[in-house]
Formats: sequence, C-alpha cells, structure tokens
Amino acid sequence: MATQLKSDALMDQMKQHLSTDARKELTKKIGLVYQINISPKKIGFDEVVYVVDLKKGEVVKGPYEGGKPDATFSFKDDDFIKVATGKMNPQLAFMRGAMKIKGSLSAAQKFTPDIFPKPSKM
Amino acid sequence: MAMRDLVTGGAACAVPGSSGSANPLGALANALIGSSSKTQERLNEIPTAAIRTPENQFFPQPTDHLGALPGTEADQSLIRPNAPGSEFMRGFRSAEQGGLADVWDEIQGGVPIIPHDMRVGVDPRFPPPVDGPPQIMLSGLLHSFVDSSRGGMPFVPARLPMLGLSQGDKQCIRDRSTIMARHFFADKSEDFINTQVNALLQSLDIDGDVHAKSLAPGRFREMEDYWNESQGFMKHGPPVGDAWAAEFDQTRMNGPDAWAHSFEQQHGANGWASEFEQEHNQLATTMHQRGAVSPNLAAMEQSRMLAQTLAQNNDPKFQNSQFLRFLSKMSHGEVIFDDNRLKPAPGDWATEFQQQHNAGPSWADEYLHRGPDHWADEFSAEREKNAPLDDQWVNEFSQLHVDDWADEFGRKLAEGALGDETKDDWANAYDEFVNEQIAAKRQSDSSRGVYVFSDMNPYVGHPNPLKEGQELFRKGLLSEAILALEAEVIKNPENSEGWRLLGITHAENDDDQQAIAAMMKAQEADPTNLEVLLALGVSHTNELEQAAALRYLYGWLHHHPKYGVLASPAMPEVFYHTDVARLFQDASQMSPEDADVHIILGVLYNLSREYDRGMESFRRALELRPNDYSLWNKLGATQANSVQSADAILAYQKALDLKPNYVRAWANMGISYANQGMYEESISYYVRALAMNPKADSVWQYLRMSLSNASRHDMLEACDSRNLDILQKEFPL
Repeated sequence: MATQLKSDALMDQMKQHLSTDARKELTKKIGLVYQINISPKKIGFDEVVYVVDLKKGEVVKGPYEGGKPDATFSFKDDDFIKVATGKMNPQLAFMRGAMKIKGSLSAAQKFTPDIFPKPSKM
Repeated sequence: MAMRDLVTGGAACAVPGSSGSANPLGALANALIGSSSKTQERLNEIPTAAIRTPENQFFPQPTDHLGALPGTEADQSLIRPNAPGSEFMRGFRSAEQGGLADVWDEIQGGVPIIPHDMRVGVDPRFPPPVDGPPQIMLSGLLHSFVDSSRGGMPFVPARLPMLGLSQGDKQCIRDRSTIMARHFFADKSEDFINTQVNALLQSLDIDGDVHAKSLAPGRFREMEDYWNESQGFMKHGPPVGDAWAAEFDQTRMNGPDAWAHSFEQQHGANGWASEFEQEHNQLATTMHQRGAVSPNLAAMEQSRMLAQTLAQNNDPKFQNSQFLRFLSKMSHGEVIFDDNRLKPAPGDWATEFQQQHNAGPSWADEYLHRGPDHWADEFSAEREKNAPLDDQWVNEFSQLHVDDWADEFGRKLAEGALGDETKDDWANAYDEFVNEQIAAKRQSDSSRGVYVFSDMNPYVGHPNPLKEGQELFRKGLLSEAILALEAEVIKNPENSEGWRLLGITHAENDDDQQAIAAMMKAQEADPTNLEVLLALGVSHTNELEQAAALRYLYGWLHHHPKYGVLASPAMPEVFYHTDVARLFQDASQMSPEDADVHIILGVLYNLSREYDRGMESFRRALELRPNDYSLWNKLGATQANSVQSADAILAYQKALDLKPNYVRAWANMGISYANQGMYEESISYYVRALAMNPKADSVWQYLRMSLSNASRHDMLEACDSRNLDILQKEFPL
C-alpha cells in the first residue's frame, strides 16, 4: 500500500479550490498545464504524479494524457509542501536541487506558491 | 611551435589527421572532419567562418590566430555572459543533441580543448561556475569533471587561476581524480583515463604524471587562443582575447597575488568579498546537496551564538556586515571553508575564526585593509593546515546526482532563466537564503522535537513562573505566557503541566512545531495525560503527519479509563486510519455526551479529508461545549480546508469573540480571505496576527504573498524587514 503523501492533502485542496470561482481566475491568469511528480523520500523514487491543469482548471492524479505538459516539476514530499505554502522560495528550491524542472522555463516561472490555497490550522 | 606539436603530435606522429594518443588535435580533426559524414554535417552547422571550410583550414597556420580566446580566467570571461565561447558552445550544441558526445567519444586519448565561458550561458555539459574564491572554482571544476565523465565525454579542462592548493591537496586531488576517472571510464583505455585526469589536474596546475607534461600549459593556451580567434570573426575581436592571454600569462608568472590583484581591480576591493558571499550561496547549496559535510554541532552552535550575539548589536552597519552573514552561514554548517573535506574541522576553524574576530577587525575589513595578497596566502596556509581529503569523498561524489542539478542549472542559466540576474538579484536571493537558514535551523530543531527556548527571558528567576504563566495565558497574552512558562520548565524540567500549557500556548500562537516539541516533553514527564495526547494528535494533523497523529490519538484511547477496553492491550505497530476511526465511533456510541470523543473524531476526519463528517463531529462537540474557542477554530479550519471559506470566517469570528488574542484564529482568518482571492482584506488579518506574535514565520510568508497579489509592492520591504509599525499603520482592521 502506497504511503500517503502530505502533498495529497494540498492537491486535494487545490482540486476543491478549482471548483470555485478561483478556477476562472487561475485559468485566465496562467492557462498552463503543470505536471508535478512527488516522491516520498527522494526525488525520482516512488513518484506520485499529479497534473495541475490550469488550462481546464482541474487537478488529476496520474501523468498528463492530453499531450505534453508545459512544465514538469519533481519534488520530495516535504519540499513540495514548503514551496506550495510559501515556506521556501521556488528559486531557492531550484538552486538547491529541491525542485527539478523540465519543459518551458517561462511556464515554470509562473508556478508560484500563490497558486495554491493555504491549509488552515485546527 | 607548440601548435604544430599539438597538430602533428610532436615526434610521435608526423601526419595530421591521424589519431594517436599524443596527437589530440589530429584526433579531434579526424573525428570532426574526417571519417563520418555525420560529423561532417555537424561541422557545417558550426557557425564560425573558419570551421565552415573543410579539412586543413581547420588548422590554419598556427602562428596566425593566437589571439583572443574566451578566457577561462576568472575575472575576464565571467563578466561577459555572451562571450564568444558560450556562443560557440551554444551553436555547437544545437547542432545535434548528443552528437557532441559521439564525436568526443571517437576521440580516444585526445584532449579536446574547447574554451567555454565559465559562468553564464554555458553548455550544460560544461557548466563549472568559475568565479569567486578557489574552493568554489574547485568545486565547479570537479563538478564539470564529473559531468563530462558521466557524459562519456573527455573532460574539458578549465584553466583556473591559482587556487593556492597545497602539495598535500594536490596529491589528494590527483589520487582521487584518478580513482574516479577509472571508475567512470572503466571501459575506456588507460590512456584515455590518464588524459582525462591530467586534463583535470592541468586546470588545477597539479603535475599528475608524465602525460601531463606533454600538455604543457603553454600549448594549451595557444590552442585556446586559436579557438577564440576563430570565434573572433563572430563576436569580439582579438583585442579582448589578447588581454586575456596577457593577463593569463601574467597570472602564471606572478602567482596568486597577481590574480588576486587583478580580480580586485575588476571588481573593486569590496567586490571580491561580496562576490564571495554570493557565490557561497551557490556553493552552499551544492554542499548542502552533497551532504558531505557533517556539521560539527558544537561548532555550529558556537558560531550560531556568535552570530546571534552579533545580530543583536543594533548598529546597522554591523548587522549588514558580511562577516556576520558569513558567520550565520557558517553556523549552519553550510559553509565550511574547505569544502572538499569530508571531515572538516569546523570546531578548530570556528574557534580560530572567533579568535580572529575577537582580535579586532571583521573578516571583510581585514581583507580590505590587508589587501588581497594576504588573503591568498592565508588561504593557502589555511588549507595546508587541515586534514587531508577522505577517501569517501570519491564515493560520495560519484554517487551524487550532480548531473541533473548542474544540467538544469546550466540550462537555465543559458536560457537566462533566473531572470535578468543582476548582482542585486543574487544578493537578494542570498539574503533570503540566510534568513531562511536561520528560520530553518529553528524549525529543524523543533521538527526534531527539540524545543527552542527564547533568548533573554525576563521571567527566569521569577519565584513562581508557572502561576505567572497561567495568569498571562488567561489574560490572552500568549507570547508573554510563553516566556513565563519557559522559565518554569527551565526551573522544573519534569513539570508536565508546565510543558503542556507551553505546548497549548504555542499552538494557539500558531506555532505547531514548538507546540509539538513542548508537548513531547510533557508526554515524557507524564505519558498518560490525555490532553497532551490529544494536543499532539491535533498538531501532527496540522502538520500532515498522518502516522504520528494516528499514534497519538490511539494513545488517547488506550490510556482512557473508560475506553481503554476498546483498544487492544498491546500497542499496535502500524495504525490504519479506518481502524482508529472505527474505534472512536464505538467510543462515541458508548458515550454520546463525551465531547472529547467527537472532537477526536473531527480531527480524524480532517486527517482523511472527510470534511463533511469532520464538520458534523465538531458541531456535535460544540453543542456540548458552546464556549470552547478552540472548538470553533477547529470547525472553521475544517470548513476552510474543504473550501467553504465564507462559513469558516463565521466560525473564526465566533472563536475570536470568545478569545480576542487567539493568534491562530487571526491567521486562519487571513488565510480564508486570501484563499477566496480577497487579498487586501487578508493583509489586515495577517498583520493583526503578527502584531500578537511576531515570530509566526509562516504568517510572514502569507502576508508577503498577499501583499504581492494585492499589488502592494510598496509594502514588501516593510514586510521583509518585519516592520510591524509601518504595517500596522498601513493596514488597520
């Protein structure tokens, strides 16, 4: 049984987020398709693949079927959380190798923490 | 003439175009022009006038074009991102992806000498950052060696300026490189391996063995001269290269001093120091990746304290001193002066450093005043003092996935990825990096369950800090309460109540990391305390640590006098959510009026993202305890996380009515507004939360994002400098 990723929670929240008005805004603002590969411990191993499709405005689990994503990111679980919640700056993440990028650079640059809704704390 | 020797292989072979181990250029020519049509067509794509013509024109009269070459000299080429070399490389590379590798592979024992720009716009296969102080260059060089080795390509030697390597160092590097090269090129010929290693050693000015001698630097330089000359048609003319060649010569003659001098001339006296800092960022990130440096905690602690002390000095000049920043980094084990030591002696170094500091001028000042020469000398001296490289370095190094990162980084730089990277950007990124390191250190301590005490606690020595803490907590002065409670647990480390309250206060102050750390201590002191177990379950749920959360919540059941029977006598190893949830459902059936059980169920459903059920559970609990502010917050958070932000805000408001200084609720309010895209509103709430707890790092980040999204760039600086006065004035509620 695959271990649950922390990122699953964020992705779920994103999915729900995109079912609100936020969807129109994001698809207009960005309009790109991102594939995000998240590994529990080490990048490249036991990856769980998500597609954050900001063209259609949805989040799908599994590799992108509709062609080639505009940019593909690879993270470790913890690092994705850090970047998505703004705890780690994406540039910094990239420089330290915590975030790998493939694909269009300009697309990748639009992948900023503020795309993601923030989790609330009980 | 050196060139001719290269071409003809000297005495060994008289025919250009034939390949032999002592005829690198011939081999090169052969490979590029001669045999395959593949290479021929590739050659045609190379956008240089000279090379477009076939065969012999590839090597025009050697004496002619000994002009400009894209320098590998640190101070020259680095400042010219579009230097000839990089253009060439880009063009060449675009010719055919991977074709380059094939070409080079065909060259057995040849040492292709392609100049390249060392800094920006570099072909990903040859991306050593050659700027800044020697250890970075060394690191960069070694990286590129690894890269090219992995790519199956012969190493492209970079003529690095004097690194001030000691004999011991050279020996080590030589040995290790040889080992590594053999490892990489196990299938290639002995010659190939040797030449590779020698190429590397060449750049470092290490005399490897006999083979190295055959590639005397002089020859090397001319070859580079030639290459750049051919480039000269396209871009800058010979004059640039001449200057480089001249400087290069000078460097070779005069040793480290001249190099340091010229560097200083280029960048200004201060420039070096700042560049050093900036490049250290890069190095530090590399080092961090390598994990090769096992920080000596004591030394780090020492320097951390030193850095902290210095940081508390309010003189702004002092604050910004590079020395301080350098120390900060040092204290986090990121920067160790000798980067390619596996067993650094940071302790010694740090003490020395500290002594040096105590002795007077700061490091940067010292540098400026005493001049660059001394730095170079000191540096060499420094390096010689330390322990030699460890063998494990090789293994670790070769295990690194250096490629990927270097590839991408290089590619990104080539594409101008990191924006218009001016020095400012670098400096900013660097600043962020340092800040992050400081925050991260604190975080990492907490996340490891290590509680971080506040400095300068006025309550230490108070006769009854626990009572004081409880009083402050009741009054809602959370940050003050924390200080008092810390004083209490310092006095009585076994006081579980002290730790528990401290944990609760931190949670309400929106710091789950510290809350967890404190709660763990409370649990140690009193393993059966149910409130502690519940709090731990909640905090871990907030941190998305599913397994841990389940364990603690199960523990609550296990230790409960009434429900303990539901749990099995032995503690299971692994906890499955469905099982734990079912147990609590059973408990709830046993006692429907027990609010705690509902609360835990609510938490559990949050964990499994069954938000509707979670809301239902919390509502039931609220029916039983309508004035529990933390329950309202929990309900709100559940609603917010299932994107019912408007409802969440109402719940948070209820919580705040009951407890006005509830930092977490304020922060959550901000989040709910921000998630709805109402950024301006969110700002005020964040500011209010921060006013009550300026240490809430995550809230600072959220604030920044909201400011940016609301296009309040004017306030970003206030945010970065954590200036609450300005922010509060600007964004009142």
